[in-house]
Amino acid sequence: MEYVSPEGLRLDGRRPKELRQLKAELGVLASADGSAMFEMGNTKVLAAVFGPKPIENRSQEDEKRCLVKCEYAMASFSTGERRRRGKGDRRATEITKAIRNCLEQTILVELMPRSQIDVYVQVLQADGGTRCACINAAFMALAAAAVPMRDILASCAAGYLESTALLDLNYVEDSGGGPDVAVAIHPNYQDRVVLLQQDNRVAIETFEEVMQLAVAGCRAVGEFMRQQLLEHTQKLAAARAAGEQQAAAAQEDDDALDEDDY
Amino acid sequence: MASPLISAGEVQWITAGVSFNCRNDGRQREDFRELSAQLGVIAQATGSARVQLGETDVIVGCKAEIGSPDPERPDCGRLVFGVECSPVASPAFRGRGGDELSGELARALERSFYPGPSGRAGGVDLSALSIVSGKTCWVLYVDALLLNIGGNLHDALSVAAKAALADAKIPKVEVVQGEDPTDEPDYEVDDDPQQAQRLDVARVPLCVTVSQIGAHSVVDLTAQEELCSSASVQVAVDASGAVCGLTKRRQKGVDPSVALEMVEVAQRAAAKLHAALADSLAEQQAQQMSVG
Repeated sequence: MEYVSPEGLRLDGRRPKELRQLKAELGVLASADGSAMFEMGNTKVLAAVFGPKPIENRSQEDEKRCLVKCEYAMASFSTGERRRRGKGDRRATEITKAIRNCLEQTILVELMPRSQIDVYVQVLQADGGTRCACINAAFMALAAAAVPMRDILASCAAGYLESTALLDLNYVEDSGGGPDVAVAIHPNYQDRVVLLQQDNRVAIETFEEVMQLAVAGCRAVGEFMRQQLLEHTQKLAAARAAGEQQAAAAQEDDDALDEDDY
Repeated sequence: MASPLISAGEVQWITAGVSFNCRNDGRQREDFRELSAQLGVIAQATGSARVQLGETDVIVGCKAEIGSPDPERPDCGRLVFGVECSPVASPAFRGRGGDELSGELARALERSFYPGPSGRAGGVDLSALSIVSGKTCWVLYVDALLLNIGGNLHDALSVAAKAALADAKIPKVEVVQGEDPTDEPDYEVDDDPQQAQRLDVARVPLCVTVSQIGAHSVVDLTAQEELCSSASVQVAVDASGAVCGLTKRRQKGVDPSVALEMVEVAQRAAAKLHAALADSLAEQQAQQMSVG
């Protein structure tokens, strides 16, 4: 199979260093304290945050910090072949741990002792880069829940096929047998690396090239998320202003009534 | 998740509201909340739908796979139902927490589609899914994922299942008989989406849950209202008003005459639900046609 055409186009028409289309929506679930839907191309992930709330299990209580609980689930219809069990398998456990690790480094856990934050991630469509999309969705949901965090947490993956470094692999490219490097960073701390995972063999020079490409991808994702959060905040601010105007107008009407009474 | 705790005062308020035919959100006893259905939300599924009934949010994805038929119904395909309670709906569904609820819901869905011994008597005519009698058939996996629990899960699920089945595009299969009549017939799957076959969902029933709050029968309960009711009857009704299945749930017993009355309420309400879904589907399909 040819992953990169002679003209330099990939299977889905992208250039080697091009990210897939990103989409994010905040506040998609009514019951969660914060929720977000994050899409990277055809990979679609839903994240929900419940908390910060009092710790459920007293034996796990920590007087200095907050406990972060995580769970990753894949819908049966999310992959090409139907999956029988969405959670509990080893891959899910590993990804859950990876997500929790990233979040613990990002959330200001010292600010919320004796509390717990539950972060649940549900994959609706899986087309490569699922763990990165999950980390991004989890971050957006935490932001929507107003959980205090150190920095933006942005994640992206890159690979190497047919002597070309490729950014943001989809499922077909991921199955191509080349290395797959997943990275998550804190962009405002000089791109410090929070998650780094690599599958398959790769020469060390190639690894450096691929990792740098992944970090650049993370920066682009981080910028996108920042824009989305700004827009979301502006919408909330506008809604609050409109609400205040309405309240002020109602107040004026009340006052006007009082004048007529006299 | 809506608070599982409810005070005696709130129960009294809700019960009184029901007796005055004016519920907390202004609805009458037999009114449904706003129903919104979006088709084709999961691109790689054979068919999919996302349904929001008030706050309850459900996604159903269908996947058609080649498999072998049930030995008791060799010329029919199979429908397999699965329900998952996503942890995003509530922390209570962490780990195996949602298994009991999802098992119950899946079983209820399955029963409403019971095809009878011939395989043709259910909501979906299973013989339409057969490829080679006795050897190969389509197995249609209908998987539901609960995203938000806002009350009345059974009804929302049945609506979403019907919508996803209406959206399903089963690939066309050509059965090629070898030259030798004793040869196994071979089949070819045509990937062309234009050639795909749609399922006939006209007879698929919708489930309506009717509950007793105080002395009255109420339809489409919110999570809070569910805490005020202790007897409910789930009735699967098809578009023609025929009852396809019945289950009594919850701990309190009901007088048989009351139960029959509840079934009638369900039949009336089901007509409204079928109409609401049909409108939503027609709108979606019109949009799909104009885009495609």
